[in-house]
Amino acid sequence: MDVDIKGKMTFRGGAHPPQNKKLTKDKPILPGPAVKQVAVMLSQHIGAPCKSMVQKNDIVAAGQRIGESDAYVSAAVHSPVNGKVKEIALRSHPVHGRSMAIVIDVDAETNAPEKPDLISSENVDLDRYSSEQICDVVSQAGLVGMGGAGFPTRVKIEPNPRLPKKVLIINGCECEPYITCDYRLMIERADQVITGIELAKKASGCERVFIGIEDNKPKAIEAMADMLKKTPARQNIKIVPLKTKYPQGGERQLIKAVLGKDIPTGAIPPMVGVVVLNVATASAITEAVISNKPLTHRVVTVTGQSIANPGNFYVPIGTSVGDMIEFCGGVTQKSAKVVMGGPMMGIAIADLETPITKTSGAITLLTKEQIGRAKYKSHKTACIHCGRCLDVCPEHLNPTVLAHAVRKNLFDVAQQYYISACMECGCCSYVCPANIELTGHIKTGKIYLARENKRMPK
Amino acid sequence: MILADIFELWKNAYPAGLTMLGLGTLFAVVLLIASEKLKVKQDPKVEQILESLPKIDCGGCGYAGCASYAKAVVGAPSLIGKCAPGGDAVCEKIAEILNLQISGGGHLLRPIIHCRAHTEDKTVLAKYKGIGTCLAANALANVQACKFGCLGLSDCVASCKFDALKIIDGLATVDYVKCTGCSACVSACPRDLIEMVPFSQEDMMTVACSSQESGKNTRQMCKVGCIGCGLCAKLTDLFTIENNCAKMDYEKYAPSEATEAAMKKCPTKVIVTKGPVAK
Repeated sequence: MDVDIKGKMTFRGGAHPPQNKKLTKDKPILPGPAVKQVAVMLSQHIGAPCKSMVQKNDIVAAGQRIGESDAYVSAAVHSPVNGKVKEIALRSHPVHGRSMAIVIDVDAETNAPEKPDLISSENVDLDRYSSEQICDVVSQAGLVGMGGAGFPTRVKIEPNPRLPKKVLIINGCECEPYITCDYRLMIERADQVITGIELAKKASGCERVFIGIEDNKPKAIEAMADMLKKTPARQNIKIVPLKTKYPQGGERQLIKAVLGKDIPTGAIPPMVGVVVLNVATASAITEAVISNKPLTHRVVTVTGQSIANPGNFYVPIGTSVGDMIEFCGGVTQKSAKVVMGGPMMGIAIADLETPITKTSGAITLLTKEQIGRAKYKSHKTACIHCGRCLDVCPEHLNPTVLAHAVRKNLFDVAQQYYISACMECGCCSYVCPANIELTGHIKTGKIYLARENKRMPK
Repeated sequence: MILADIFELWKNAYPAGLTMLGLGTLFAVVLLIASEKLKVKQDPKVEQILESLPKIDCGGCGYAGCASYAKAVVGAPSLIGKCAPGGDAVCEKIAEILNLQISGGGHLLRPIIHCRAHTEDKTVLAKYKGIGTCLAANALANVQACKFGCLGLSDCVASCKFDALKIIDGLATVDYVKCTGCSACVSACPRDLIEMVPFSQEDMMTVACSSQESGKNTRQMCKVGCIGCGLCAKLTDLFTIENNCAKMDYEKYAPSEATEAAMKKCPTKVIVTKGPVAK
């Protein structure tokens, strides 16, 4: 193999939290639990929430579209199972609190938990699909960015004459500790991921393609490189090993590392001609275009030191967190926190009925020791102005000034220091020796400013 | 000797003294003319109105402070009733200054909190250990089971300039004696629980819940939440059920037997009266 695994490229700033990927690194993707009920949230993405297309007691089939919206920035939702609509009611959502969901009673006879079928690139003729066709199918299948933010994929890849797209970067960094779902996907389904990349390249009209992978995943780099070598048509796709550092998988950080390009504050990647897609999204594009399967299942890592059998599972979207934890053998020691996502950017949840959404890649159970005794008891001390948060901030902001401005209600100061440029990666809170919840304060400030703008439009 | 010295000094200095005197007089005259010619005409009414206002700059009227409200009210007399802390007395005074007659005016607007769950009534799924403001806690799903209820972390208390709000056992409570109706608390609540309603009675009947959950879920989440049963709506058309929660038409409220019956029959006692707090 001719790819140098040692990654050299990276961005400035960032932290090195313990990886803890050992727990689930070598666990192959298995079918998930046989669930009795799924709750499909109507808002699983950035943009307008969907409207339900079904009523109570309707019979739905697997893959049937059950929610859609007229808005451009939105994504349809589909039923992952055969069953009957029990109710359309409020369910806990990790981000939106309580929001509307379609609750479906699963028909047990026709729904055996399935193992994902691999899609081989052998019989696929890429010339059959035009750019519009791919964009249409991606939109019909309700694809969203599966890395975490959930931006509708169609909006991302659709060619725009005003902002021509030149470079496609595939995000296989998975810099967040504990999570291994993308890693397993790259090893087990490299062919499918690369087919998806080719489709996305075709749809968006990008000329160059890079796959960014952190160098703590040599197996994934190898698997992807081997798969690329087999076909001459895929030679123009390049794998870029990157330094292992959090948040290497952030969109702006990835572009900086791969292309050396800075994105101006307030701008988005398309403005510099770049599209960034997650490997899970690429895999889902293949499923949608080649086998016409909407986004109804995803790979979820259930992990943490307190869980009996951690692993990677292919589960229907809408499965509850409680079901997943039970399926993994429950908890063996007292855990203090259940986090949807990884420990750095994930959101703590209190309701185990919270369903898995298109964007939730992991469920992490943390113990008191892992959180850190001082952090758990929230022993805050005064800021000692050590400047560590300034060193690690990947957006080169001043977290301590921002957090203190928000605490003292000086929102104009916070805006002067570019509070909206913060992406809430959590590096500053992680390194703070005084245990100040810097990210929490900054996030609160952002919410306050969003509320104010809504109340008093300029 | 000394006299001679003084005389000498005078002889040397009087041209300078005279020059200064002359210049002073000249400037005085210039300034006098300028002050007459370039006079900014200010309405004396603005000053009079500003005198009569409470001068606490609460911002309840929607203007930056009392001075800018005074200016605005002279230009547009329809703004006359906007000063909530001043109340009727200020209204009358402004009307007198502007030579206007006021009539009606309606009832005073006072905040009510659409929640009555104290700590022991709420279902809490997990311990919240984060930042201690409502705004921060509200960003996290399931801080308490009910998404619609009072969090009790006192953002509204911090916003009140008159010490009229207090968290009593996990629930924000208004002291209507101290409240001036400036409505600062309305925008402070991240869950939009506080509403300004016209207090036509001393003890105003209110619906103290805003849960949009189904009745079954509400019962699981809170002991005193509205389950949307519709009993009150059957008894009097003052109440309607919207999104599993009773809504009341506060403008039309007048105490009657039907409303009393609705209050008594409410299974979770969500309909309560609110009013002055005895101190």
